[in-house]
Amino acid sequence: MDLVIDDLYVQYGSSVMAVQGASLNVRDGELVALIGQNGAGKSTLMKAVMGWVGPHSGSVMIDGAAVNDRKFSHLKRGVSFVPEDRGIFSSLTVGENLRLGGVTRRDKKALDADIERELERFPVLRKYWGRGASLLSGGEQQQLAIARAMMLNPRLLLLDEPTLGLAPIIVDLIFDVIEQLRAEGVTILLVEQNAVRSIEVADRTYVLQAPGRVIGSGTAAELSASPAVVEYLGFEPNDSGKAAS
Amino acid sequence: MIIEYLISALGLGALYALLTIGVALLFGVLGLMNFAYGEIILAAAFALYFFREQPWFFAVIMAVVFAVVVAVLSERLAFHPLRGADPVTLMIASFAVSLALQSVARMTVLPRAQGVPPESFLSQRVDLLGARVSVLDLLTFVLCGTVLAAVAYVMGRTSLGVQLRAAAENFQMAEALGVKGNRVIASAFVIAGVLAGIGAVVFVARQGAVSAEMGLQPMLVGVIGAVLGGMSSLRGAALGGFILGVGTATLEALLPSSLIAFRDAFLFTALIAVLVVRPQGLLSGSKVRVS
Repeated sequence: MDLVIDDLYVQYGSSVMAVQGASLNVRDGELVALIGQNGAGKSTLMKAVMGWVGPHSGSVMIDGAAVNDRKFSHLKRGVSFVPEDRGIFSSLTVGENLRLGGVTRRDKKALDADIERELERFPVLRKYWGRGASLLSGGEQQQLAIARAMMLNPRLLLLDEPTLGLAPIIVDLIFDVIEQLRAEGVTILLVEQNAVRSIEVADRTYVLQAPGRVIGSGTAAELSASPAVVEYLGFEPNDSGKAAS
Repeated sequence: MIIEYLISALGLGALYALLTIGVALLFGVLGLMNFAYGEIILAAAFALYFFREQPWFFAVIMAVVFAVVVAVLSERLAFHPLRGADPVTLMIASFAVSLALQSVARMTVLPRAQGVPPESFLSQRVDLLGARVSVLDLLTFVLCGTVLAAVAYVMGRTSLGVQLRAAAENFQMAEALGVKGNRVIASAFVIAGVLAGIGAVVFVARQGAVSAEMGLQPMLVGVIGAVLGGMSSLRGAALGGFILGVGTATLEALLPSSLIAFRDAFLFTALIAVLVVRPQGLLSGSKVRVS
């Protein structure tokens, strides 16, 4: 599963250009992070990948097909999305939310097996299976959102700020799961504000600066070699991805 | 007296709950405040008038069929081309559909109100737990209660219901998960049509007549009940409608005859007081979006 974003411009209304000439690619099996401050255009770029906002110019291609083509189907291509607000349906139970993730699947036995797999991964969801999703904490909702996205057995998983507003212990859990999913072969594009942890887990990282410009990309070592990136991030990633002390 | 009141209040509550679910379902799925909902009821009422010489049960079925057909056609012809449009645009489109259907009815078959005498059995009273209860009130209670239970089953226990609830809450996310938008929207209009059809049967039986303007009151009941309960929650909308119905019946039972004419003034004053405290509605988590 290859994702290629080429010279993408996204405009809101007639004047606000949220993404300006962003280019990035995610190769099959890679975990790629996209980091940047608030308003850098990260979530807009993610929405463009989902086809929720159209490009003003440039292109977003998945496996060589343009996502804004009317015939393009994210589901058929195996693309799952966990949005910034998690997209949990509060009027549904945890179980209903999870099953809805597999609504297009006809292989019910395999779906049950996948649900079991995610309940093993996120035991709290088993505990609260019949409970209304609105009663879950933020961290529990995030686990539900990721588990639900996995119901499609995605080839490309788009995670938009999955640790936003979560307690440190839950942030650790989410990053552990992200690494686990990468190890299982899922291609991942991770949008995050937690630059340190993102660089640490990602194969490559893109740094986005408002309004939606990529100012640097690469491994931790490659990022630390860019003065503009180091100045923007406020720290120098070392070889292990962690901030240099 | 208490049994009579309970049957009347619960029946009216169930009827109003059906109407509010119809309004809230379309609002949730499409962002559509459908002011043409009254004309879907009008279509059903017209069927009851048109088939008034036929067996009552047949006329009831035809009323539901007419309502579903008009609901689905209004979606295909008026709202489908506007998919994704601003909610205000959709609302204005619904006004246009409402006025068009009303005008067609007025120019053709309903230039003036036409009588549809209720079936003789509906005018009778039966003994129930020592009380003399109107068959019409009993029918309203049983019919609306049964349909409400059926809707609750569909919404709570079936895959379609889960998809409808999800789409009503966050349509874009539901589609991203694979919920088929067109199918869900069509289903919502079919369900709204069935509810409008059943509502029309009860309204016509109570009023004994049909007119081109008769959809206005049930449409307002649906909108007000849904706003009271919370537009973003189907359960809340049903609760709002139910409270509105029970409140109406209670005021009718309690108010002295000299004040009955001001029933709606009392009711809506109470409604405004509730909305001052909870502007988002009784069961809704977020503020009401009416356009």
